[in-house]
Amino acid sequence: MNSIKALLFKLFFIVLLSACEAPPRTGGSGNNLHSTEIITVDTVSANEEYVMITTAINMPMYVNHDQAAFKMWAKKMGVKASILGPSEWDIPAQIATFEQVIPQKPAGFLVNGTDPGIAQVINKAVDAGIPTVVYDSDIPGARQHSFIGSDWYEMGRLQGERMVKILNGKGKVVVMGILGMTNMEAGFQGFLDVIKKYPAMEFIGKYDDKANVELAAKITADLIVAHPDLAGVAGFDGNSGPGIALSVKEANKIGKVKITTVDAEPEHLQLVKEGVIDYLVGQKRELFTQMGAQMLFDMRHKTIAFSKNDAKAGVVPIPKKIITGSIEIDKSNVDLFIK
Amino acid sequence: MIKDRVVTLSATILLLCIVMSFLFPSQFPTVDNFSQIMLNLSIDTIVAVGMMLLMISGVFDLSVGSIVAFSGGLAGYLMYYHDVNFLVAIVAALSGSLLIGFINGFLITKIGINPMIQTLAMMGVVRGLSLMLSGAGIQNFPYEYNYIGQVKILSLQSPIWYMFAIVLIFSYLFKNIAFFRRYYFIGSNEKAAHLSGIEVEKMKLWGFVIVGLLAGIAGILLSSRLGAALSTSGKGLELRVITAVILGGASLAGGQGKIVGAFLGAAFMGIVGNILILTRVSGYWQEIILGIILILAVGIDQLIQKKK
Repeated sequence: MNSIKALLFKLFFIVLLSACEAPPRTGGSGNNLHSTEIITVDTVSANEEYVMITTAINMPMYVNHDQAAFKMWAKKMGVKASILGPSEWDIPAQIATFEQVIPQKPAGFLVNGTDPGIAQVINKAVDAGIPTVVYDSDIPGARQHSFIGSDWYEMGRLQGERMVKILNGKGKVVVMGILGMTNMEAGFQGFLDVIKKYPAMEFIGKYDDKANVELAAKITADLIVAHPDLAGVAGFDGNSGPGIALSVKEANKIGKVKITTVDAEPEHLQLVKEGVIDYLVGQKRELFTQMGAQMLFDMRHKTIAFSKNDAKAGVVPIPKKIITGSIEIDKSNVDLFIK
Repeated sequence: MIKDRVVTLSATILLLCIVMSFLFPSQFPTVDNFSQIMLNLSIDTIVAVGMMLLMISGVFDLSVGSIVAFSGGLAGYLMYYHDVNFLVAIVAALSGSLLIGFINGFLITKIGINPMIQTLAMMGVVRGLSLMLSGAGIQNFPYEYNYIGQVKILSLQSPIWYMFAIVLIFSYLFKNIAFFRRYYFIGSNEKAAHLSGIEVEKMKLWGFVIVGLLAGIAGILLSSRLGAALSTSGKGLELRVITAVILGGASLAGGQGKIVGAFLGAAFMGIVGNILILTRVSGYWQEIILGIILILAVGIDQLIQKKK
């Protein structure tokens, strides 16, 4: 009896082991198109759905730029645009949303490149044969068909260069943004790489404002108290600039504490006009989603073909990477941006 | 029959699935979709089992989401920056999670800090630690580590199996082991439980240790599934889990609830979330709808209780 039990036990484990499907050994960044046939069609249908996968879906910058441009593009092309993702900045929830849409095989995915953690699910979509474009920040390890977005290191470098220029190469500076976010960390690094070339510039530290205006204002107020000779603050998320500016205004330090920051929303522009913020480095966000969606459409409809069968030939018929560049704004040109 | 939340919730889930299968026949009732739903609710359910235990005893823990991020972050940090063997890294991460649970339990039961204040404070402390450990995110884990959360058994990804195992084990423990059944007495009447000889403080302390361990396991599974340790992991998980547990039959007053209810509550929320994605409901509405569902579920429950 015992030997029968032992045999059944062994059999159970053999069945269990044979039912195991191990994950692939390489998450690699190589081109996997030889094994993936992209689903292509000739006619455009109103049911042809392009899905934007993002996070913090109600962030004004996303709504006013990324989503507005995407919707406008879809209307022009006569296709359906869906925008999905959590309302909070929640990467696992963005991944969960993405994973649930892949089995529905939409015409294409436009994915906000929020965090390296989304690489695997991007690869899953690519492996499912769905045209996939990542926008905003590039994702290491992801095999998306194309990336379109900003170079955050460059945005940090531009802020650093301008800060050095307006402070004549000396003074205490800090950076503020969301700590831990890949793109912002790259921005901080770009800023620091410039600052460290100037011995008279003193870097105080990195501060986490969690993309919250009130928190950015509070941190700035505390910094002004702790360092009365604070010379400059550089912001790296959309809410850093307005928060820093609020505290600088309240402390009557306009002009004494220089501010550089990212984004060019109406409130940022107004603060530049008032002379509170000295310099903005904006992104061309409308291009991310408008051009990104067009690339998805072109892939699906084989608008441009380089061979008889690009997928089989291992050719991606759209640009692999597009860096859209930055928009630099200061008092000299701000009026051109105010609507 | 109607008064049993497990039965009503199961029936609601079944009805929801039938309706959705008719409305979206090619999208909803598919193996791919269901395995995806299960995968996405597996992490929440594992933590919800621990939360159910705590809520049966009349307390809750707001630091669980941060522990999920901490656990994956610590394992990732040790493996990536210090070349520590993946098993050692897992043991360290789980020990760390246990320790956080122990500190919560100790300060609440021995010093007398209010559980909400203590776990709220711990939520911030542990989130900060996770941020320090994970930074901009850690990737490139050893294959063996990723295997834990990515291997598929009978076409279902491993976190689903871990979830079922944990639900089954804790259901068994609550049904058959006196130690676990005592949590109901504590939740129903703490003073009476104390007078009857139950070591209430010790039991509560163990409750926090267990929830810490389960959150740690969830963190390991999430990071190995994603192949990345993210400082944002588990953000908002505490409220999702408490919602699931209340939907599943727990009461903020304690003394009520079943482990399977935690699973059903999480499953209900997972299915509703999936439906909202299938129907392309905007993210603006998703939280509103889930909030309304919670109010309805608890409100209807209160009405039934009053009628009784």
